Amino acid sequence: MGVVKGDQMVLNIGPQHPSTHGVLRLEVMTDGEIVSQIRPHLGYLHRCFEKHSENVTYEQVIPFTDRCDYLASMNSNFGYVVAMEELMEIKIPERVEYIRVIMGELNRIASHLLALGVYGLDIGAFTPFLYMLRDRERILDIFEYTCGARLLYNYMWVGGVSHDLPKDFETICIDFLDYFEPQIKEYNNLLSYNKIFVERTADVGVIPADVAVSYGVTGPNLRASGVKWDVRKDEPYSIYEKFDFDVPTGTAEFGTLGDCYDRYWVRMLEIEESVKILRQALKEVPSGDVHQALPKKIRPPIGSVYRRTESPRGDLGYYIVSDGTPVPSRVKMRSPAFTALSCLDEVSRGWMISDVIAILGSLDIVLGEIDR
Amino acid sequence: MTVDALINWFATIGDFPVLAFILAVIISGIPLFLVMALNAMIAVYVERKVSAFMMDRVGPMGQGPGLHAGKWGLLQTAADAIKLLVKEDTVPESSDKFLFKMAPYIIFIGAFLGLAAVPFSSSLQVADFNVGVFYIIAVGSIGIIGIVMAGWASNNKWSLYGAMRSAAQIISYEIPAGLSIIVPIMMAGTLNLQELIVFQSGTIWGILPNWIIFNNPFSFIAFFTFFISAVAETNRTPFDIPEAESELVAGWMTEYSGFRWAVFFLSEYANMLVVSGLAVAAFLGGWQSPIPGLFNTGLWGLFWFMGKLGFLIFVMMWFRWTFPRLRVDQLMHVCWKVLIPITMINIFGVGIWKLIFG
Amino acid sequence: MSRYFQNIYDTLSTLLTGMSITWRHMVNIKRDNVTLQYPEERWPRPERNIGFEHQDYNVIRSRLHVDIDDCIGCLKCERACPVDCIKIDTIKAPTRGEDIPNVKHTGETSNGTKKAMVVSRFTIDMSECCYCNLCTYPCPEECIFMVGGPNSSKHPIDYEFSEFERKDLIYQFAKKLSTEQKDGLQKPLPEAKA
Repeated sequence: MGVVKGDQMVLNIGPQHPSTHGVLRLEVMTDGEIVSQIRPHLGYLHRCFEKHSENVTYEQVIPFTDRCDYLASMNSNFGYVVAMEELMEIKIPERVEYIRVIMGELNRIASHLLALGVYGLDIGAFTPFLYMLRDRERILDIFEYTCGARLLYNYMWVGGVSHDLPKDFETICIDFLDYFEPQIKEYNNLLSYNKIFVERTADVGVIPADVAVSYGVTGPNLRASGVKWDVRKDEPYSIYEKFDFDVPTGTAEFGTLGDCYDRYWVRMLEIEESVKILRQALKEVPSGDVHQALPKKIRPPIGSVYRRTESPRGDLGYYIVSDGTPVPSRVKMRSPAFTALSCLDEVSRGWMISDVIAILGSLDIVLGEIDR
Repeated sequence: MTVDALINWFATIGDFPVLAFILAVIISGIPLFLVMALNAMIAVYVERKVSAFMMDRVGPMGQGPGLHAGKWGLLQTAADAIKLLVKEDTVPESSDKFLFKMAPYIIFIGAFLGLAAVPFSSSLQVADFNVGVFYIIAVGSIGIIGIVMAGWASNNKWSLYGAMRSAAQIISYEIPAGLSIIVPIMMAGTLNLQELIVFQSGTIWGILPNWIIFNNPFSFIAFFTFFISAVAETNRTPFDIPEAESELVAGWMTEYSGFRWAVFFLSEYANMLVVSGLAVAAFLGGWQSPIPGLFNTGLWGLFWFMGKLGFLIFVMMWFRWTFPRLRVDQLMHVCWKVLIPITMINIFGVGIWKLIFG
Repeated sequence: MSRYFQNIYDTLSTLLTGMSITWRHMVNIKRDNVTLQYPEERWPRPERNIGFEHQDYNVIRSRLHVDIDDCIGCLKCERACPVDCIKIDTIKAPTRGEDIPNVKHTGETSNGTKKAMVVSRFTIDMSECCYCNLCTYPCPEECIFMVGGPNSSKHPIDYEFSEFERKDLIYQFAKKLSTEQKDGLQKPLPEAKA
């Protein structure tokens, strides 16, 4: 008489679910509560970004790039214009570089705040979510003051930016940063050091460093597993070399290296690093005209370019092929969240369903970017 | 207003014992149902406001022209109740229809029976049992039958998960709750709730009221273990894994809508009332006033009881909006490996204390 | 064994810290409230002049509006739109820079440019618009803009333009011309040489 073999249950964490970050369908094979396999089904948010960009001109692609990773819209724009400027070999004014870095870092803070708040919500803590969103609203107000839009900006253009900074931008930004830094301590006291939260996330969903590299995971997920890779330091673009900032990696604070708590903590530390970069950048913004390098008509030479930039989710890469006409021949976006989602299966074998939700939240995926 | 008093009064009128009994039960049951409904309405409003204030927002406010929710949103719960009553009554096609319809009422019965023994004041108690404490703990486990019925009958994997988790959780947490409640029983020597409250009259060293929580350090700890087990019994965060909103949509309540869901909701708040009432009666001196000697008569008892009850319910809401939730196995770990050893040591310690200090 | 007690102590201390934070937020609600009671209180729109060489561009993303009397029919905004929500039909005016009263066409824009085209159809489908503002930059006459902001002297701010039916969101800006009027504007074809 052998061991009674139960049947595996197929559970569908369906497209509509309070805590899949978008419309994602996860088919989970479980044995009781322990997960044995997960199959993600994608494509519910596919909007033909890459096909669309073959039919519109180069500057008209920029609103489309906004909408792929809608939480870090400035960084998506940034990646595209850096790639285009490399293709067309335009030299842009110093002021534009500073503005772009400031906007990119502000958006990084906003995106991380949302990721951390929603992660708390998945774990069950309702209050830190609202505190973080309240502070994110202030960042969105700064963006609205600059370019009029709160979430999808269409701000960075090939060769410049669409609007110059307002006159009192520096005061407003410094006020915000002075208000924001003590809030980080409050978030840590409320959520990060909370024993229940630590118990839920430490030692859960460990991604070892070699598994992460082999799946192509990048960004805070990779850094939490101990690999120190940041595109801003290793393949610098724009003027990131001028700023002095650290690249936080996972430190196994409460558990093993590369668990969910490390991914959460790395994002928290990255917010502080972005605040550092912002303070340095705001002091030194040179004056100038932001529109002087805008080309009259964007007609890049025949060729192709692949350029990586660091978005809040990881390595955002654009591969642009041009055939001399004002309309691109191919625009491909390499989305960091796609590779992060691909390692969900291997990482969550043997954990419970509550842990699957915790691991999915810690990977910080945005379905707009995965499905494009 | 106890059932006994009513039966005696009927006996003075004429000799119809069976009818008198039935009438007495019905007449004392109606205010109990009203208390339950009123409690749900007030508790829902307070929960929404408390959660809102903790999150830097204001909750339902009721402003603007036309039909709206009253000043400061006071009529919001009434509006919600009306909405729930007129909603469509859906019963899933492939569910077990009889069990599906019976489940809310079984949970309701469990909460209702528990309310019968809560001592609201020295004369306001529906049934003054000799074994009041034991009765409440026993009746508190009727609800679990309803939960498992609801989860099974919904024919939905998510509901099944929620129901199984909830069954494990409630059954496990009854043990520390029962073991903690033994401490006041040992000290007072009686299971009767009114006598337990009367035992706590007087003062310690002249200033502190002689409540069981202040009596000795072991009963102090016993209060907290009882309170934590009570929070787990009622499925509230941090132990709300059965109805975990972000994982299981709504757990075992997923398929219920409209009036049936309102009955679940009512029973959850009534359960909170029962366990808080038991905690107040056993540990915090019941309807006695905290200022020894003053304001101790008649209707003041009801006021103090409601005040202490309100405070405990507020603390339960405070827990819900501050902490994340525990995973199922961590929940079980807390129960079996942390709370039960502590409660057993408590019983031992109180016994030794009583032996030494009398 | 000591880890066991350390765990219990950690739990209690972090839980109490968390509870004190939410208590502080709760009692300070009058100071910290961030909710606006919407129809009565509104968050002010940030208005600023961005100092382009043209005056009165604004950074608000709101409803699009066209001053049709200023439109010269250059079709630059139609080409700039990434989602093709602007549709313009133009007819070559018989004379350049003169008013044609029966179709209510003014010959000069407010900036003094002489118009060569009569705009017979100018529809913007606001349900397709992606609010990217790319159509407002190329316009040489600044006749297409998003309302509100520093040019609120021309049009007040309006971001509450939702309608009950989708077809109400298709804005027609050109003056309606009947087919005879359109035919009357076309120059007659030259007679075929015998």
